Amino acid sequence: MKFDLDAVFIEQGERESALARRVVAALPERVPVEYIADGREAARARVGADPFDAGKRRMVLMRRRAPFLMSCPAGSARFACCGYLVMVLASNCPMDCSYCFLQEFVAGNPGFQVFSNYTDSFEELERMIHSTPERHFRIGTGELADSLAFDTLTGLTRDLVGFFAARDTLTLELKTKTDEIENLLALDPRGRVLVSWTLSPEKVWRTCEHRTASPAARIAAARRVLDAGYRVAFHFDPMIAYDGAEHDYAELIDNVLDVIPAAQIGFFSIGGLRMTPALRAAARRRWPADPMLLGEDVLANDGRLRAFTPLRLKLYRILAERFARAGAKVPGYLCMESASVHERVFGVAPANPAATGERLALGQDLR
Amino acid sequence: MTRVASNRDDAIRALAAARHLPDSHRERWLALEPRSRGAFLELAESLRLRTGQIVIALDLLGEIAVRENKSAADILTSPALARIAQRAGSAPSRARAFIEALRALRFPRLGEATARLEDAIGELRLPRGISIVLPRELGSDVLTIKFELSRASDLDRAMGVVTERRAAIARILAMLGGSDEV
Repeated sequence: MKFDLDAVFIEQGERESALARRVVAALPERVPVEYIADGREAARARVGADPFDAGKRRMVLMRRRAPFLMSCPAGSARFACCGYLVMVLASNCPMDCSYCFLQEFVAGNPGFQVFSNYTDSFEELERMIHSTPERHFRIGTGELADSLAFDTLTGLTRDLVGFFAARDTLTLELKTKTDEIENLLALDPRGRVLVSWTLSPEKVWRTCEHRTASPAARIAAARRVLDAGYRVAFHFDPMIAYDGAEHDYAELIDNVLDVIPAAQIGFFSIGGLRMTPALRAAARRRWPADPMLLGEDVLANDGRLRAFTPLRLKLYRILAERFARAGAKVPGYLCMESASVHERVFGVAPANPAATGERLALGQDLR
Repeated sequence: MTRVASNRDDAIRALAAARHLPDSHRERWLALEPRSRGAFLELAESLRLRTGQIVIALDLLGEIAVRENKSAADILTSPALARIAQRAGSAPSRARAFIEALRALRFPRLGEATARLEDAIGELRLPRGISIVLPRELGSDVLTIKFELSRASDLDRAMGVVTERRAAIARILAMLGGSDEV
């Protein structure tokens, strides 16, 4: 276990679930386990100096009452989206990035929930496959949680990789800022699993990305899973427009390309730091001395604070051009940006979200 | 003139009460280190800052201090701000200039990019009734071209002016999209 836990709460009805048994068996003795009637109570914010951070150290194993599959919460008709489907197997994350949207999104229930009935999601996926057998889907578990944090404890990836490896029209994306890949290395993904790393320059990592693996460790982990038969991808998101960012992001991409040949990168995505005013206020309360939260951000017409447009787009272009010169076509897209911004950065407008999602799942060029 | 600490803090509380300053901002002011607390008090008094201006100034000062890793006192005594505090003119006009200067320190590249775009628009020498409007704070990549017309013939003339300047307008659009130095 690479992260600290103060306690584990397990719903009484789930104590015999495979997940609960695995977690209890692997948990260090010093972490107390309590059995409770309803995990939702344990997940709620508690009074304290920093309820969000306290929630991260309180693991709650519970049934998920809502569907597991959902459209990506970042999606909107005003953006050219990537067609990503989210599978919610957990909520919150043991790492603590100062810019993280979860500070607002799960402020009311910050307990680190892991859903013990996660194999029910496989039935939802089966129904989706049967209703649209001709389509390919890219499905990720890394939106409301990190896909691999605590995987040595929960072992979720063993079941996930097994399920996806046997389905030709599904691609699983495991998105992470860790180097917790040990379980993956023992599995055969049969080309159906993609592991993606969110990457930031060293300066952003040191300032903002608390308790995460270093950028170099993430890149090294990417190389290892690539060698083990996984596809890999990288998210430069959030891209933060601080002084010197142009140089640092270009150098970061060079560091990636030194280790992973461009032809073996499934795709890259870029997304500028964007925060609702409420998220920014929450983040500033928790991280008052973090200069990365104080870029030259202005209120954009989607109601989010973003680096002003020419600065943001210039950075996007620098990153995209770096990949364009990498010697092989690496598909790239922007997160939460309009079609016109895509066109400015990549030269052409993207396809619709479903087609984009399908091409990303299949590793095809987007343009 | 340096005040005794207790007098200074009392003066801050008195000014905050007189201006109905939100408690959060009064406390933020009092939480500054002593030199910064005093420097801002002197400025608030000499420029007769209004409530909203004190709130904005404290917010901007706090953000600049984190970004630049400087104390508020160091920022307030920087040449750009000291000049405004000492120059001639009415207190309200100096107060407005002070807030503008703080904004410029907080958003230096935005200020430069906006100036460059405004220069490019100025170089178009558009006739009366035709204007090009930048997005607010360069918050989007959308340029607005505005016609103020009263006759159909004005429309033809306006369309002709825009068509003639198409290349230059396209360049401004490209600048807005980050193609120029920002």
